[in-house]
Amino acid sequence: MTDKRKKQLLVWIGSGVIALICPTPFIWMIVVSFAKYPDFLASEKIPYIFTLKNYIQIITTHDLHVMDYFKNSLIVAIIVVFVTITIASFAGYAVSRIKFRGKTVIILGILAVSMFPQISIVGYLFKFMTQIRWINTYQALVFPYIAWVLPLSLWILIGYFMQLPSELDEAAMVDGATRMQTLTKIVIPLATPGIFSTALLAFIGSFNEFMFALMLTTDYHARTMPVGIALFEGLHGEIPWGQIMATSAIASVPLVIMTLIFQRYIVQGLTAGAIKG
Amino acid sequence: MAEQGHRSIIPSRFRGSRATEERFAYMLLAPVVILVGGLILVPVTGTFIKSFYRDVAFLPPVKFIGVLNYKRLLSDIHFLQSTLFTVLFAIAAVLFETVLGMFYAVVINEKFRLRGLMRAIVLIPWAIPTIISAKTWSLIYNFNYGLLNYVFTHLHLSSHPINWLGTSASAFFSIVIADVWKTAPFMAILFLAGLQSVPRELYEAAEVDGASLSKQFFRITLPLLRPVIVIALVFRTIDSLRIFDLIYVLTGGGPGGSTSSVSIYGFKSYILGDFGYGSTVSVFTFLLIFLFTVFYLKAGRFSEGLKL
Repeated sequence: MTDKRKKQLLVWIGSGVIALICPTPFIWMIVVSFAKYPDFLASEKIPYIFTLKNYIQIITTHDLHVMDYFKNSLIVAIIVVFVTITIASFAGYAVSRIKFRGKTVIILGILAVSMFPQISIVGYLFKFMTQIRWINTYQALVFPYIAWVLPLSLWILIGYFMQLPSELDEAAMVDGATRMQTLTKIVIPLATPGIFSTALLAFIGSFNEFMFALMLTTDYHARTMPVGIALFEGLHGEIPWGQIMATSAIASVPLVIMTLIFQRYIVQGLTAGAIKG
Repeated sequence: MAEQGHRSIIPSRFRGSRATEERFAYMLLAPVVILVGGLILVPVTGTFIKSFYRDVAFLPPVKFIGVLNYKRLLSDIHFLQSTLFTVLFAIAAVLFETVLGMFYAVVINEKFRLRGLMRAIVLIPWAIPTIISAKTWSLIYNFNYGLLNYVFTHLHLSSHPINWLGTSASAFFSIVIADVWKTAPFMAILFLAGLQSVPRELYEAAEVDGASLSKQFFRITLPLLRPVIVIALVFRTIDSLRIFDLIYVLTGGGPGGSTSSVSIYGFKSYILGDFGYGSTVSVFTFLLIFLFTVFYLKAGRFSEGLKL
């Protein structure tokens, strides 16, 4: 067999392995979410019966609070993305375009901050938020989340801004534009794809965060989707796998579709964050 | 990196004075510095200070006790066990992720008809929130009606169902598998970017010289990817040393504390109201991460590649 044929064969086998590993748990989640008896694998006597009841229950049973968790997660994530992108763009512009003292220290400092484990922050935050009576509010999550996703967002944006030729904004400044105008009228519009992928990553980071939300919220008024799913309890005792998987599917299907559609931007963002530096 | 904006051809009168420019830059940076400083550096410092205090909820007073928490830490068998677990987990997880991620990357880097589809499929685990993937895996590992036991018993790989999350050894590997599944795609994306920058001519030349496929991989691909691999290892090791979400859902640290990571252990101290000791555990968690990072950066001669 020639090397070319061998390579082809390996690629097809590899694709088969990937197709087996990557989507299976996701597909399983969907399968169970539509099952009338989620324990249908336990014995031959339990049949797989397709049903929408799990979805109907989590949407219509208010005491499960699933929709509240979604609402909270979305509100928090949207505020976080908006604020993060705005201030990271400002800072990214300064770092990529203006010469100032202490630049390296600030960049390396912010990068080093992303090394801290969440556990080294959460205890202090809990005490602080208790003191100012913010436990179980949106702001108790929004502020820590912004700080948490900022370093990576900034890092990625700097990478994008660096790629834009600085001659463009210099020319604009010769024509009398201020720094602020070059940022809002030239750099940001040109870096839109980069800003978009950064926003996507910031959204996913905030939407998925678990430890802060677990510690800083107590019930459905502010509890986010990951905590809701982790602590999911049925109304009748036993683990309601059908409802848990239906909730999981509602949360992850949009993310998976978004990832598949914006695959190119996400890949760009991830690699810019890790490799550009 | 820092110099790019400054081969300036513009006379300075258009740019404002150096001092004005600098002030403007600091103004733009202020929100980031304030937020990151106030919400990360201050809490981290606070945690460090608290690690020298006795601070137990409902049991006042809060008292400075010097290094007593640290002494307790070093003789706390459960903490040492958590440390050992965390290190072993990080090594196993990152190792398998790297291999699997490289495998994904090599496959989706080839030109073939289904490449676009395969690139999308590889990203699915990455897109699913960790807590959700953890819940799904815990259902898959379920003793009575989990998919894994169903497959194992029906393919006769095992005569009886296995209690995946019930013994320390199987729980360890169950957690590693779930983690590798979730994070190998991230590795794959980084490696793919690296692969795409390897000039095709190198492989063509190697083919002319009659180098086998495996030789091409080990002699061309791997050495050229080294910088990317080091960066990916640093990122993923830092992340796996602070593992929390997955374990919280899968085993909660059990059975018998055998899969408790340092983050889980610290969190439990906080939940029990022991903030002084929890802080000490947190400081130690950070030290662990710091040590590993320094080791990688030294071993990978990372600083050569980082031109700031």
